[in-house]
Amino acid sequence: MAMPESEIREIEAFLFLEARLADESSYDEWEALWTEDALYWVPRRPDLDPAREVSHIYDNRQRIATRMRQLKSGFRYSQTPASPMRRVVSNIEIAPAGADEYEVSANFMLMELAVQSTRNMNFWGGRVLYRLRRVDGQLRMVVKKILLVDADEPIANLAFLI
Amino acid sequence: MGVQKSIAYEGLVRPDRVHGSLYTNPAVFSDEMDRIFHKGWSFVGHTSEVPDIGDFRRRQIGLQPVIITRAPDNEVRVLFNRCTHRGNMICAKESGNTATFVCPYHGWTFGVGGEMRGVPQQGGMGKDFDKSAMGLANVPRLQIYRGFIFACLAAEGPSFDSYLGKARKLLDRACDMSPDGEIDLSAGWLKHRFHANWKMLPENNTDGYHVNVAHASLMRAVNAFSAQAFDEEKGDNSVTRDWGGGHTELDFAARYHQSGRPFQWFGGVPAAKMPDYVARMEQTYGKDMAQKHMIEGPPHAIIFPNLFLAELNISFLIPVSANEVIQYYTPMLLKGAPEVNARALRQTEGAMGPGSFLLPDDACMAERNQLGLAAQSPEWLDLRRGLEREYTDPETGLLSSAVSDEITNRSFWKEYLQLMSQAA
Repeated sequence: MAMPESEIREIEAFLFLEARLADESSYDEWEALWTEDALYWVPRRPDLDPAREVSHIYDNRQRIATRMRQLKSGFRYSQTPASPMRRVVSNIEIAPAGADEYEVSANFMLMELAVQSTRNMNFWGGRVLYRLRRVDGQLRMVVKKILLVDADEPIANLAFLI
Repeated sequence: MGVQKSIAYEGLVRPDRVHGSLYTNPAVFSDEMDRIFHKGWSFVGHTSEVPDIGDFRRRQIGLQPVIITRAPDNEVRVLFNRCTHRGNMICAKESGNTATFVCPYHGWTFGVGGEMRGVPQQGGMGKDFDKSAMGLANVPRLQIYRGFIFACLAAEGPSFDSYLGKARKLLDRACDMSPDGEIDLSAGWLKHRFHANWKMLPENNTDGYHVNVAHASLMRAVNAFSAQAFDEEKGDNSVTRDWGGGHTELDFAARYHQSGRPFQWFGGVPAAKMPDYVARMEQTYGKDMAQKHMIEGPPHAIIFPNLFLAELNISFLIPVSANEVIQYYTPMLLKGAPEVNARALRQTEGAMGPGSFLLPDDACMAERNQLGLAAQSPEWLDLRRGLEREYTDPETGLLSSAVSDEITNRSFWKEYLQLMSQAA
């Protein structure tokens, strides 16, 4: 059965909200999107086994909280000031997963200005795999797995919210 | 032919300062590639990266592409990544397992050990064509110590033993964290691009002075980290050391012995959470020595010019230009210690790499240094900290100083000057 149009629009709106909060380094609002069993993950390649290999980022809920505290400390020099950013989220595909969850994937392109040092315009892109859950009627993010095109190449600082 | 003016390095490296142009001048970078990376010894990789026959992995020595391979005779080779015909980079894949390297240009084929297998239409090569002389070139000198692969691209020059010197003990300290005495670098490498000069990495990596300031955000976010002092005036008796040959160390052992608790270097994880590791360590090293290893932890040290023993991580650098360098990081997994390794993966992600809680701030500082050094005045960088209180430790015979002292920078530059002053 096809998913109702309103449900698709709601999920898209959630992705766009998450993208805007990340772009604007709105740390508290972004952190509030997560569930307690969260996983914020930037692996070095799509099929990487986290029990055997190292990722760029593999944050559980507690580590996400630490990351936010660090960013808000005023001394996270690699994000002081926060990078001006804008990203485009597109090619969205949605699949229901059980009663109250969705597997969603999308492409993204992100321009990030490294104002803390070089003032280089860094260009990031790839596919994002989200797992979303409806909690008390509201969509929340359980997993955000970012598959960077250049994940296994030398990359610049990834201290902002990707 | 034009006359190239040579740079007088003796005038640019002084006991208490170094000249800014050493970080910014492309001619200096060119001399460094030639005299340090292409004539001297450096770290290339680890035997655990090519465990099986046919395994290969691309690397770089200075600016030159090489391949580490496990040959059919089970020996590790380091081959230049260049077809012996017309120079094509023969291996484009980062790593894998293969029986042959086939050049995609004209089809020249080599075994994974480098030996030539054949060329298409061989008759045209003439009757004197000797396949046995046309294999991929081996690096002139190769040495493996406890799995660490070092290479030297000059056939002549200082021996490996004289290069590594006493710092061999630092590699021992790392490997002896494993109950099997072996480390395993199979967890993959994080690669981090810095728009900064390569020398800022070894200088920063054993610099105790920056931690309280550059990493203040982590100290505020994580209590366990803020408990560490990095301040001799607040009772931190950690030691900075010159191991000779440009090898340097920031040793926290004395700090950890103050409380005598094991695993302070590992987030203070209770020993009860790693019972098999503790038991196996005691089995291998005896109770007292095992306890010492578990209190003191792995080394925090630089093996000149490009290897960083970063406690439970291994890191190395690849220079790109005067203004750019790539730093690699991987967890130092310990053979026979699955309880440690599971935690080590997560610890590496927290501490090392472009997405971690520490290294992005180091990269930011290195890049800001590079930008500041474009200013012509003052000409010098000040490295005098601790010069008046450094001492020769009677126990080790090594020049040593307080946790925040720049003895590590000075010992790096001592070796640098020696290598750079050689006639080209």
